[in-house]
Amino acid sequence: MPTITIDGQTIEVSGDKPLLQECLNQGVELPHFCYHPAMSAPANCRQCMVEVGTPLRDRETGEIKTDANGDPEIQWLPKLQTSCTVQVSDGMVVKTHRTSEKAKRGQRDTMEFLLINHPLDCPICDQAGKCPLQIQSYKYGSEGSRFEFRKVHKPKRVKLGPRVMLDAERCINCTRCTRFTDEVSGSCQLTINQRGVKNYPITGPGETFDDAYSMNTIDICPVGALTSTESRFKARAWEMSRTPSITTINAKGSNCYYMVRDNLIMEVVPRQNIEVNEYWLPDEERVGWAYERFNDERPEHGPEIRVDDELTPVSWDRATDAASNALSSVSSDAVFFLGSAHATVEDNYLLSRIAEHVGAEAPKYIPHVEPGHGDDWLRTDDRTPNAQGCERLGIHPVDAEVLRSRVRSGEIKVLYVLEDDPVASGLFTAEELEDVVVVMHYYNTTNKTLAATDVALPAAMVVETIGTYVNEEGRAQRVRPAKVIKEVNRTLMMATGKSRTDMHGTPFDRWHNESHQVDCLPGWEILPKVAAHLGLEFEFSGPKAIMLEVTEQNPAFHGATYEAMGLQGHRLEDVGETV
Amino acid sequence: MSEFNIKKPVVPLPDMDPEPQIPEDELFFTEEELEQIERYKEKYPTNRSAVMPALWMAQQKFGFLPPEVMQLVADALDLPYAHVFGAATFYTQYYKEKKGTYVLDVCCSFSCQACGSYDVLDYLEEKLGIHAGETTEDGRFTIQEVECLGSCGTAPMLQVTNGPYVHNLTEEKLDQLIEDLRNDKMPPFTSVTLPQDEDEMEGNRRSDVEHTDTYQTPPETKRWI
Repeated sequence: MPTITIDGQTIEVSGDKPLLQECLNQGVELPHFCYHPAMSAPANCRQCMVEVGTPLRDRETGEIKTDANGDPEIQWLPKLQTSCTVQVSDGMVVKTHRTSEKAKRGQRDTMEFLLINHPLDCPICDQAGKCPLQIQSYKYGSEGSRFEFRKVHKPKRVKLGPRVMLDAERCINCTRCTRFTDEVSGSCQLTINQRGVKNYPITGPGETFDDAYSMNTIDICPVGALTSTESRFKARAWEMSRTPSITTINAKGSNCYYMVRDNLIMEVVPRQNIEVNEYWLPDEERVGWAYERFNDERPEHGPEIRVDDELTPVSWDRATDAASNALSSVSSDAVFFLGSAHATVEDNYLLSRIAEHVGAEAPKYIPHVEPGHGDDWLRTDDRTPNAQGCERLGIHPVDAEVLRSRVRSGEIKVLYVLEDDPVASGLFTAEELEDVVVVMHYYNTTNKTLAATDVALPAAMVVETIGTYVNEEGRAQRVRPAKVIKEVNRTLMMATGKSRTDMHGTPFDRWHNESHQVDCLPGWEILPKVAAHLGLEFEFSGPKAIMLEVTEQNPAFHGATYEAMGLQGHRLEDVGETV
Repeated sequence: MSEFNIKKPVVPLPDMDPEPQIPEDELFFTEEELEQIERYKEKYPTNRSAVMPALWMAQQKFGFLPPEVMQLVADALDLPYAHVFGAATFYTQYYKEKKGTYVLDVCCSFSCQACGSYDVLDYLEEKLGIHAGETTEDGRFTIQEVECLGSCGTAPMLQVTNGPYVHNLTEEKLDQLIEDLRNDKMPPFTSVTLPQDEDEMEGNRRSDVEHTDTYQTPPETKRWI
């Protein structure tokens, strides 16, 4: 492993990455715009410049020459080098802007050029507050501009595609977006138009930037040139809190941050996890409908039970009481439990335990597989986040035909549904369920099975709960609460405080906002209440304890404790045929 | 492009929903042309490099490069359309719209600018009654403001329709040039050497060209600046 000296500090580096990456890995910050670890380095922003020298060797002996003090003599490269294209070699000596006046000057002057035609409209720019150009010009730029002429005006509000908007004036031509389409997504839809001061990225005339991963260009854009058509001008960066979690539109379990303001999800952005999604998120996970479903307000829809053919709001105690009454009112073989690939491992586990206690057969789940939807990358055919978790718990896909005939024949009298929509997924029609008592944990008011439901229990969604999902590849990952629910729940509050340290605060904080809180409960809160009425006492302190028990009792979850999963997840061992 | 000038620097957006300008039955490469493209492809390690000669060939054939021609080139080279578009817009030598018979590319990069290329441009604009980037009504002349043409030694200079250079521009030379072009007389290719070089080489030794010239520092009164 080569050893290099950065600003007088000798460190060991891996040697297979460019100097800039090695510096960043060692915590030595260098300003840069165009470099991205997943793409080639064109070195066109000229920001990461450093002084580089190598030890001088005697031509004949090959020995390193030393000076009077016995230190190696260093041969400095005559000009500043862009560290993103310098390959590290043993003994290399690097002076960054911290020790080299020349490097500092170089960075400052380049920055002045970058800002010549930049509009400096930070007060109205969505990127402000998280903008590398803004941050780095504060840190490394000069105080003012000496450019006193008219700035070049370029097209603004250009809709490159259905999801990405271009403001060409803000662009600094780092070419990250064009390299993304060339090298990462492979659609090759973007190019740099024209040259000199006139250039900016755009699609060919008549072409639409409809790449299934187009919105990643918004994240990697180091300025506010590319913004989302949906979330632009909705919230400033500093108004939102961000919660590390995973996306749940498909079975990949891509890591993401949920950006929240006033208890509403404003945006979903990718979170780095080299093992799962690297730096990217598919567009389907972050377009409007993918997160707006979390914002559906259901204030009047707390727990409800059917009275005189009308869903009537009741207290949580009465609702869970009704649910357990339904379960105990019929014989155990007349009860059918539907688990859910949308629900967490913890909730599915508790459901299996209840099914076992009641004496009913093991729960089944409704598969939501859409053949042809996947692309062998971050989109999968499976449209649910936790099918793998269900399988590992011994919950298998339901045989629709068999279940339908059993319901039709009146064999099944009580159907207990966990966080799914049997009617919308085509399992039953609402009429078919008329004679069946349906107890349902549901996500939001658009659930079509509500028309046939007798006990409706609003369940916390992925952004409101704590739990574990297992992705297609068997990686167990945690979700954390990004939104606050109406009920006061100590476990959730503690977790929210941790996951939203930046913005959440306490009810006494000035910015605390009680709007948009939904009257729902997480499954690991509802299910123990239902179980208690049936004489089954769960004594878990929270989802963490539930998961601990799962890992201890089920070898398919071996090692997947909350500590082990952390922020990057825990790869479970393959379990062969059963998965 | 057309409206871009230093006093009102606005970069327009290309027409993002363009109407085809070449009739569909003319929009193809012949067998020979396709063979030529194959030869270009073999010449380079990647097809991406062959985009320059292929675009040039297309421009010779169609006169200019509207989006549908760029698409045609992209298909022939098996390249993404955006790459071809990017290359074509980078070079002012590729005409993205229909130009006049004679395109006057006035170099406005640093050396020429210091020697008065904006005055050349202004003089031409006034004389022909058009702005840089525009074409005269009779379709004869187009003026373009272009980047460095690599002839800084003879600044200010211009190029006629991607062909011969006209060096050491003065008002008289421009008048003469326009007059000649009106009579469809192209300026000859001229080899220009610097006086100090000629001293060493005993005059301009190019024997393969019709016209040779020696750079003359314009007298103070004749300078453009």
